[in-house]
Amino acid sequence: MIASLYDFIEFPFLYRALIATAILSLTCGLISPLIIAKRYAFLGSAVSHSTLLGLSLGLYLSGSNAPLSLYLWTLIITLVLSLLLAKSTWRQSLPSDTLIGLFFTGTMGLGTLIHSLTNRNSGDLMSFLFGNVLLLTNTDIYISIILALIIIPLIIIPFNDWILSIYDEEFAILSGVPAKAMHFIFVFVMTALIVSALKVSGTILVNALLLAPGFFALSFAKNIKSTFYISVLFSILTAIIGLVLANYLETPSGATIAVSQLSFLFIGKFIVFIKRS
Amino acid sequence: MLKASNIDFSYPDNDPVLESISFTIEKAGMLGIIGPNGGGKSTLLKIIVGLLPLEKGSILFNGNDLRGSNKAVYVPQTIKLNDTLPIKVSDFLNLSKKHAQRGIDECLSKVGMIDKKESLIRELSGGQKQRVMLARALMQKPEVLVLDEPTTGLDGQGRDQLMQLLKDLQHDEKTTIVVVDHNLNQVLKHADKVLCLNKKHHWHERKELLTQNIINDIYHCEFEHIRLHEAGTQFDDQHHECQHDHAHSHDKD
Repeated sequence: MIASLYDFIEFPFLYRALIATAILSLTCGLISPLIIAKRYAFLGSAVSHSTLLGLSLGLYLSGSNAPLSLYLWTLIITLVLSLLLAKSTWRQSLPSDTLIGLFFTGTMGLGTLIHSLTNRNSGDLMSFLFGNVLLLTNTDIYISIILALIIIPLIIIPFNDWILSIYDEEFAILSGVPAKAMHFIFVFVMTALIVSALKVSGTILVNALLLAPGFFALSFAKNIKSTFYISVLFSILTAIIGLVLANYLETPSGATIAVSQLSFLFIGKFIVFIKRS
Repeated sequence: MLKASNIDFSYPDNDPVLESISFTIEKAGMLGIIGPNGGGKSTLLKIIVGLLPLEKGSILFNGNDLRGSNKAVYVPQTIKLNDTLPIKVSDFLNLSKKHAQRGIDECLSKVGMIDKKESLIRELSGGQKQRVMLARALMQKPEVLVLDEPTTGLDGQGRDQLMQLLKDLQHDEKTTIVVVDHNLNQVLKHADKVLCLNKKHHWHERKELLTQNIINDIYHCEFEHIRLHEAGTQFDDQHHECQHDHAHSHDKD
């Protein structure tokens, strides 16, 4: 087990995977409590699955050997789709889960169809569904760093406005908080993060990164600040443990990170249950 | 004086929710709004404070446009608040300090919640949450306080305490209060004027002039057990401020 840790120094692809996972889990940990509090878990799931459509078109337009071009095409297409979804779900009187559900299956179905018609030989779709760190390049690391540098200030600087718009959206609007713009910014942040996480955790398993840290933190934290500290800490630790285990057990990174996070979440909840009873 | 004239409103692709709604309330008066669900009460409140657009008509406070003036503060229903995050009362009030003209401690003391300053909001009872919301509103030193069903979920004692707080504000700080409430007896006990509202059907006058027939008419059903304080008062059409006649009382159903 210890020997396998040296692999992260010895093999450049594992070194890249470690950096990408650390940066990604930091940003995911930061927005995770907000996703849960805003009740966007299902929206996040729909966006992550809609990346399949963006990915299929991205693979068709740029091929799998141009990571920046593939990322940008996937991001642009997924962003257009998710912002349409954001517009349709902003302060609607009708329940938005139906629309999100339809969006979820529609984009995923169309993505699979386009991939099977156009990209049979360009890119392994399974790697994007479940994550494959072997696909990570230096460009992916730079994208993750730039994204973190954009997202972290977007969340931290107007932190009070985020919390107020979650707690009481109407009061936030009346106080001059641009709640509608923030709704769209949040969907943009989620989409950019999900697209950048595809190679580490995959379309299907990225939800563990987005939801487990916040859920864990909300179960234990006693105030707002500690919620975010616990979430970020949990996210980074459990994601890196998952990556190390994936290398040691020679299992897919996305699946191992997801199982690692959910295991720690379960253990934490179990300890609380034992203490209370 | 708060004077609303000929307010119309409809949500996109829907029938009108409000048509030609008018009312007046003196400074430091309390207007109680009653009516069935879906009758447009909450919509009217949101128009008053500027959360929804004013399609037609005007809302003036002392002759100036009330909307966007920061003179009106809205207190929403506590059940609409999302308290998933663990927020302490003091942190929550700190978040809302943007237009504050009073300190947190002063406002919490006014509503009798200073001892709960460090408590988590999600661990408070419905009545305590409502008091915190009221404290937040007081921080802005409102001239008009607009409350949407503030007593929902409270027991009898909690309702009385909250209404007494509103009465104190009305008298001590000359705050004009507009309150939506489903409890007719409570509205009749505390409000100075009443607005009975069911979409375009509305009646607005001093509460002494409200009769059971008007309530039956607005709610489109018979209130046989409601205890009105109408003894000795007769509905006087000369005081009726609506722009329409009472024909709707006969065309229901």
